[in-house]
Amino acid sequence: MMKNFNWSKYSKPIILVAFIVVLSILRPKAFLSLDNFSNVLWSVAVIGIMVSGTIFVFLIGGIDLSIATLCAFSAVIAVTVTHNMGDTPGAVFAGVFAALIAGALAGAIHGIVITTFKIPAFLVTFATQSIFLGLAMVMTNNKIISCTVPAFTAIGAFKILGFPLPVYFMVVIALVSWYVLRKTVYGRYVYAVGGNPTASEISGINVKLVSIVCYVLSGLTTAMGGIVLASMTQQASSSTGAGYTNDVITAAVIGGVSLLGGEGTVPGAIFGAVLMGLLNNGLNLMSVPSTHAGLVKGLVIVVAVAFDAMQHADQSRKKVKKVKKANA
Amino acid sequence: MAGNTLIEAKGIYKSFSGVPVLQDVHFEVKAGEVHALMGENGAGKSTLIKIITGVYTKDAGQIYWEGQPVEINNYQDCQKLGVACIYQELSVIPPLTVAQNVFLGREPRKGVFIDYAKMNQMTQELIDKYQFPLKPTTVVDNLGIGQRQLIEILKGLSQDSKLLIMDEPTASLSGKEAEMLFKIIQKLRSEGVSIIYISHRLEEVYMLSDRLTILRDGKNAAILEKQDIIPAKVIETMIGKVVDESAGSRKMLHSDDSAEVRLDVKNLTDKTDRYRNISFQVHRGEILGLGGLIGAGRTEVVRAIYGVDKAASGEVWLDGKKLDPSPKASILEGIGFVPEDRRNQGFIPLLSTIKNVALTNYDIVKISGTSISDADELAMAKRAIQAIDIRPADPNKQVGVMSGGNQQKVVLGKWLMRDLKLLIVDEPTAGIDVGAKDEIYQILENLAKQGVAVIVVTSDLQELLRVSHRIIVMRKGDIVKEFKNVEVTQSKVLSAGQGVEEEAE
Amino acid sequence: MKRMNQTTMRRLISIGMLVILVVLFTILAGAGKGKFFNFDNLIEVVRDASIPAIIGVGVTFIIITAGIDLSTGSMMALVGMTMANIYAYTLLPFSVMMLAGILVGLLCGLCNGVIVAKFNVPEFIGTLATMSIFRALTYIIAIRDANGVIKSQPMNHSGYTWLGGGIGKFYYVIMAMIVIVAAGQIVLKFTRYGTNLYSVGASKKAATLSGIDVAKTRLIAYVITGFTVAVGAIFTTARLQSATTAIGMDFEFNPIAAAVVGGVALSGGSGDVIGTLIGALFMATLENGVRKLSINTAYQYVIKGAIIIAVVIFDATYKARMDRKAREEGAKEGLE
Repeated sequence: MMKNFNWSKYSKPIILVAFIVVLSILRPKAFLSLDNFSNVLWSVAVIGIMVSGTIFVFLIGGIDLSIATLCAFSAVIAVTVTHNMGDTPGAVFAGVFAALIAGALAGAIHGIVITTFKIPAFLVTFATQSIFLGLAMVMTNNKIISCTVPAFTAIGAFKILGFPLPVYFMVVIALVSWYVLRKTVYGRYVYAVGGNPTASEISGINVKLVSIVCYVLSGLTTAMGGIVLASMTQQASSSTGAGYTNDVITAAVIGGVSLLGGEGTVPGAIFGAVLMGLLNNGLNLMSVPSTHAGLVKGLVIVVAVAFDAMQHADQSRKKVKKVKKANA
Repeated sequence: MAGNTLIEAKGIYKSFSGVPVLQDVHFEVKAGEVHALMGENGAGKSTLIKIITGVYTKDAGQIYWEGQPVEINNYQDCQKLGVACIYQELSVIPPLTVAQNVFLGREPRKGVFIDYAKMNQMTQELIDKYQFPLKPTTVVDNLGIGQRQLIEILKGLSQDSKLLIMDEPTASLSGKEAEMLFKIIQKLRSEGVSIIYISHRLEEVYMLSDRLTILRDGKNAAILEKQDIIPAKVIETMIGKVVDESAGSRKMLHSDDSAEVRLDVKNLTDKTDRYRNISFQVHRGEILGLGGLIGAGRTEVVRAIYGVDKAASGEVWLDGKKLDPSPKASILEGIGFVPEDRRNQGFIPLLSTIKNVALTNYDIVKISGTSISDADELAMAKRAIQAIDIRPADPNKQVGVMSGGNQQKVVLGKWLMRDLKLLIVDEPTAGIDVGAKDEIYQILENLAKQGVAVIVVTSDLQELLRVSHRIIVMRKGDIVKEFKNVEVTQSKVLSAGQGVEEEAE
Repeated sequence: MKRMNQTTMRRLISIGMLVILVVLFTILAGAGKGKFFNFDNLIEVVRDASIPAIIGVGVTFIIITAGIDLSTGSMMALVGMTMANIYAYTLLPFSVMMLAGILVGLLCGLCNGVIVAKFNVPEFIGTLATMSIFRALTYIIAIRDANGVIKSQPMNHSGYTWLGGGIGKFYYVIMAMIVIVAAGQIVLKFTRYGTNLYSVGASKKAATLSGIDVAKTRLIAYVITGFTVAVGAIFTTARLQSATTAIGMDFEFNPIAAAVVGGVALSGGSGDVIGTLIGALFMATLENGVRKLSINTAYQYVIKGAIIIAVVIFDATYKARMDRKAREEGAKEGLE
């Protein structure tokens, strides 16, 4: 038991350091360059921003399969609104604002449908994934729309003290998210609802409202991720954010967030995002194309969740034995 | 009418981690008889049945089937002998037809295909033989619970079962459905099928059974023939005359009517008729015991008072103020609630004692701005740990891995941190060891001394007598009896819950 | 009084939806040559529906056990790319190509089955992961040109050309669909395995008590899906006459949508293959009609998603009510 405890406590920094060491040895020049450093940071920032919000959904035992297409949808909205309002800095502000509203609304719809009709989250978000994709395609007429307004591209490219702006966004959002989960009453309720919704209801918690807010927060950060991506690439299309559903879920899982609900922390999830960023970058430097990376990510999810499920089964089995003994 | 001995269990012993549960139990069922099995909670009924059906292994003793010694190690063994168990949680598959359910996993086939004609015909023959109100081709989805239970019975009969075990079969049936079941049981008996009938309801046992075995504290208390099954006598046997004269089973109740009324429940009526016109009061500092059989509607009533479920009509008043019950409102008004199913409803297993204790108390934990004071939260948990001796005393310990008694203390502990006016506890000591039980009684008594009104719902008669200042008994959704400032015994409470008029003492 | 069976009622609703859609497009897009309602176009609709319906047979089995498979699209791509490799680099006969494709499908299905049924990974997470694994494998084995750039592999083997055609307008893919749907329906309704699928979906606990091997039943459903996906992939490459890494992109949505529209409840235990076929025809009609009306095809994604949500909400709310009613009435009937 002692062994397990130590491992779980220190496993994260160990994995992280091991990763960096391996990459430094294998590709010293490429990996340790300054340019590459900011590449990694960008990648980490986008995943970090998104996972800071989606973690709320994972904590209540929900899931969001629409992350990638909601990302595209909100990116398209940001760019379209900016264009339509004349590409001024004010227009950029309006575009960003509109995209955030869209993300929050999408999340609210998820939450309301899921809690009101008691439909599994994966099914609802599976269907809305198609809706967001369609809307993004309709709005762009299935083309790539570019946006080179300086005020917009600055969101992704502007650097302060050598770090790109998205990194600051990530830090701020992660801090807010950490604060909410760690310090506020709402955060306590989120863990309670994820751990036992019935007991939470009896303890006077409005389970439905708590859950809906989780989906809204998830939608909001997904939209932010979309905006940052669009700004970094100076364009938006229906495929902006493709692959991010898996990246975000994988980051959460690596970071110790249980997809069965009730367990996980923001620092853990951010660690997962950093590892995902390094993984993407590492595979890239090893000339493994991004299309192949899905293999590794998929395996990571399967192994982590299978391990999780086995542990849970093990625990409840032990518990049953214990209870049987106690009852006898 | 009853013939040779079908199954006989002789000298059965069973203990769990050193605690004896069955001691030298003898149980025998003859061919074609309905044999009832009764006993208080914890008397060993279900352990005995689990030994017969191979779920548990016995420590000593022998089971004989038609005179031959047999070993039953799993459910398959007992099915092979011809024993079928009708589970309380029905195992019928709703989207399938009656016939498909009856022959599930044993479908007659032609080649690889199921021979539906034959299967339906075989089912029809069974139905005709026992005159069940069923059709082989009806989809179970469209059937009521009573009929689903009949399918389960039919399933047993289709395997040529000679012995059916029915565990509280009427628990979830309506009156009409139960009557139908009784007719079927009579019919089965006349066809030579034996039935072990486990029930808390004396009237059913009285009406149906040919013989009755009563267990008490893991021992045979009596085996009664039909003519000896007299309700008052049965109750006496279940509780035990000797025990009845000992300290725990006889009590002079004292309650003080002059204390102000804290809770006033008026005409509370359920939407689905599980209870109706429930009116009672609880005074300051009074512990009111709510007795009755499982399924009498007690849990439903207290859930409605607290506001987890809504009543169809009726009023709840607390300290002269009318409430609109909902958990949140109730908590703010000073009501605490410890639910019946601790693990599923009581606490958050993954969270620590700190967070479980604080869960209902964030209105009183210090919060600066939006930030909870960790120190204050921890202090609260420490107060709870100290006040009621939660072990381990580590406030960071996950509650899910604690023992049942300490889990219950955590559940109780969170209410003690508040200014309570009323505390409702439902089966507070189920599955908890003796030491922790006493501590919990102590907590309830201390609360009462501080002026809190307490409602205790319990099926444990000894517990009911031990803690209550006044007792009301429910039966089938009505309050049938109140014991107030009188001497009460376990038999009296049980008789009231059973609807049996006890002879004057 | 004879009350209508719930299953029959749900069937009528999905048929009704299909008929209404056909009538609607006939009014909006017109009848006659080159328009919506004519023989050639309707056959085209059925042809489009065939592959989702074929794969839908396996997916229906899975959904009946209360599972889901999000990996069918990627699996199709992997099967297609396997055959493309054999075609591009060997001289093996057509039959070996097909067998290899089917073998890969079965293996993929087995993979899903083991992850879900043996390791107890929630279905949607496990198959979401294999969705990216299968797609990545497709890229890894993709055919490349001299510069190492992935290219589309022409599949102009006479066998594929033949499979892509048919007897007149009666395409082979439609025949295959009819055979597989019929076989699926027979397995579902007339074999023990079919009964086991329903039992597992309705209640894993009750199924176990009745002596059914729940894990095995679920695992086999995933393997069967692997098979139907392979068949679907063979016909897709035959129709496209090429294999690319993009085959089956976003396809996993289609068989699930077909099943949902056709009344296969995602909560498990109900629905059948015929329902999924009706659902597939509905979705194909929708796509075709939207095309004929020259509406931006992007709207299809929106409409599909919206229809799924609407149907699921409908099923969730009305099924609960009908169940209760049925039970109450059933209880009364039984007592008469």
